[in-house]
Amino acid sequence: MTTRRVTTRPTRRPRCETLTRRASRIAYVTLAFAMAPLLPVPGQDGTIPRAFDGHPDLNGIWQAIGTAHWNLEDHSAAPGHPDLGAIGAIPPGQGVVVGGEIPYLDAARAQRERNFENRMADDPEAKCFLPGVPRATYLPYPFQIIQGGRKIMLVYGFAAANRTIHMDKRNPEPPPLDSWMGRSHGRWEGDTLVVDAEGFNGQAWFDRAGNFASSGLRVEERYTPLDKNAVLYEATMTDPAVFSKPWKIRLPLYRRLEENARVLEFKCVEFAEDLMYGHLRRNPTR
Amino acid sequence: MTAFSRFPLVLLAFGAASLATAASAARYHHVQIVAASPSEAVRWYERHMHCRPLADRNDSADCDGVGLIFVAQPTLGSTQGTGVNHIAFSYADLQAKMAELEAVGVRGSGVRLQRFEDGSTWRDVPGLFKHGFIFDPWGTRIEVVEDPENLGFHHVHLSAADPEATLSWYRDAFDGRPAKLKGLDEAVRFGDVWLLASQHPDGEPAPTRSRAIAHIAFEVADIERTVRDMLGSGVNFQGEPGTPANGRTHARRTFAAGPDNVTVALVEPGYAGVEAVANEGPESMAVEDYAAPRTPWGEPDLQGVWTGNAAHGIPLERPAGLADVEALTPEQAAARRERGTLGSIWGYEREWRDTTLGYDKMAPSTQVAMIVDPPDGRLPPLTPEGERMTAAARQERERRAKQPPAGPEELTPYVRCITKGLPGMMMPGIYNNGLQIVQGPGYVAIQKEMIHETRAIPTAPRAPAGPKLTSWLGDSQGRWEGDTLVVESQGFNGKSSFRGTSAAMRLTERFTRVGPTKLAYEFTVDDPAVWVRPWTAVFTFDLDDDQYELVEYACHEGNYGMFNILSGARAKDREAAAGTR
Repeated sequence: MTTRRVTTRPTRRPRCETLTRRASRIAYVTLAFAMAPLLPVPGQDGTIPRAFDGHPDLNGIWQAIGTAHWNLEDHSAAPGHPDLGAIGAIPPGQGVVVGGEIPYLDAARAQRERNFENRMADDPEAKCFLPGVPRATYLPYPFQIIQGGRKIMLVYGFAAANRTIHMDKRNPEPPPLDSWMGRSHGRWEGDTLVVDAEGFNGQAWFDRAGNFASSGLRVEERYTPLDKNAVLYEATMTDPAVFSKPWKIRLPLYRRLEENARVLEFKCVEFAEDLMYGHLRRNPTR
Repeated sequence: MTAFSRFPLVLLAFGAASLATAASAARYHHVQIVAASPSEAVRWYERHMHCRPLADRNDSADCDGVGLIFVAQPTLGSTQGTGVNHIAFSYADLQAKMAELEAVGVRGSGVRLQRFEDGSTWRDVPGLFKHGFIFDPWGTRIEVVEDPENLGFHHVHLSAADPEATLSWYRDAFDGRPAKLKGLDEAVRFGDVWLLASQHPDGEPAPTRSRAIAHIAFEVADIERTVRDMLGSGVNFQGEPGTPANGRTHARRTFAAGPDNVTVALVEPGYAGVEAVANEGPESMAVEDYAAPRTPWGEPDLQGVWTGNAAHGIPLERPAGLADVEALTPEQAAARRERGTLGSIWGYEREWRDTTLGYDKMAPSTQVAMIVDPPDGRLPPLTPEGERMTAAARQERERRAKQPPAGPEELTPYVRCITKGLPGMMMPGIYNNGLQIVQGPGYVAIQKEMIHETRAIPTAPRAPAGPKLTSWLGDSQGRWEGDTLVVESQGFNGKSSFRGTSAAMRLTERFTRVGPTKLAYEFTVDDPAVWVRPWTAVFTFDLDDDQYELVEYACHEGNYGMFNILSGARAKDREAAAGTR
């Protein structure tokens, strides 16, 4: 069951340049956010690798380091599943949300608390479901950027997730189907790769703390190289059904420098089967 | 694999009236459109575009004096990315027309609307006219405009590296009239219809040959003279002007290499009153020695969205009784795929497969079997170990067929939504056959729609993963051999098997772009534990870069089948227990 959502997003590059030359272009309005002085200013000293077209070359294997995958907000150490001892405990971590807190509407905040309570059964990550955006970025696994010209592909190991960022905007239709990973259109703003992602199914979470959004979520991601081995990742979430205003996360991504670094296949379905189907075994395990 | 099927050449003149106009400026003669079913295409353009079917032909239509000639051809791909972006028709009330087209739906030979970003089907371009875009079922992009002064077939819209130069080329070659169209300064008029050109978004447009619009044709009064003039301007031609040997017309034609890789036909009609036909005429444009395009950084460019739809139905092994058959007839191929699809597609609607998934656009492959080595098209003999493994696997299958599964592990990795393995994931199936290739310097990403698998393959040498690190899809290393991407994979976990392959398999795949819209895929399985010798199979992917977009095949996430299979199995357990009590 999907419905075509009619968005009011302004026109991007016209399909038919000549015929629309006179069509007025609507300026793309971006929301300004208070910039927290967390991270260095992007380097302009020539240390950023360049692609054939002069844009930054983001090709490589990247990974976030930190605890954003546990909780985007500040969080103290807390117990996890008792069977796992300290291995399962939630480590403390400083949040990546600019401004500190996610501006939930009241009902949505209550939902987040319920999500957390039921996380062992409900967290899509536990079930090896596709992680969604931006969660895929800061899962504790590397991902690879394959940057050509017209398309940029993001290859994640977890759950064999992937995204195609359409740089050519060749298909500006609204996403025909809602999906876990959404549809992504990218463009360059100076040295920043800006990606608009939308068309989500509203089932993905942002972290293991139950932070979430609805299918109306729109994410603007910004990948800004800081130097050859670090990229500043920012993502602004807009979803009026869940949040009182747009909000933003900011964290660095680090290049994996191991000589043989690769994104290893993590087809985790088989490890989630007991969780999901254990009660249906001939000898039930759950 | 590299041989392009020769597509039949069809020429057509539209009666005496049009022939008399040749003395002055040239006019469009026809637009050749590739459609799996020409007769269906005629009906489609009659029903939706108000063209007039020709009384004595079932593959052509007259659209206000411009001919549309449809040819069935196995090699397809939409107009997108070529130098002919679309054709346009004008109606008095665009809003009503778009509503009518939207109401048709995509089922059967339906209408696919291309919506604007805000979801609307049309918009008003200030200073020009209202317009919207649709696709015919075979990949031709059509603009629908509201230009009350010029109803019917309205224009051909080119996509050009240098629009101004391109329009000048056509104007000079065919005596077009410079003309303004509403607010557009740059346009050329031929007869009652326009030729427009826009800036091509990136680089050089792809060739039109074998795409949905294969060529556009101009009618000329004296083909010898026009060719001579054009030769003088440095235009290349393919063949002397002539009448196809088995043609039913006296019309003469030749093909010019137009700007932006557009094939332009010149037609000098024969005498009035003769329907001009040349079925199965000689084809001078077969692709030979195709050189793959290069990425901006100099590697062969395999990028795009491909599908294995045409290859679906080809058996891996050559069937008994077809030992000496070189290729199936198109009818046999269609019947084979229909059998294979209906045999495996359960309750899915044929219309859904044909339209939503684009099967209808692709003539099925006539290839007899995938295995080309051994030459008999059969898997080689098993080793003693292979015999043992195969027998054990068969026994296990038989056991599972009788006994309800005890848990998920007794179902196949595909049913469990883990993977189809290698080379299984590359094989065409009944649906979701999309294959997307994206390249960056030194890496090729190969994404298969079923079941959202992506392989990031390095083309520069990299130390292999250690022997303790195995996986479902193994560890892949690529390299370029000329235009061919060669990928060698090993390090499989052995938990999935393709026709008996084991964890010891070494898989070598070769991806070769053999034409603008053809990607040959060859794979060699070397599994000495199982077979006494390696074996090799081939099939072809077809480019469908425009209409086809890979959907997210979130298989596991929606795998209600697992719950149902397992709860059904438990119900059977209970029944069996009750029966023995």
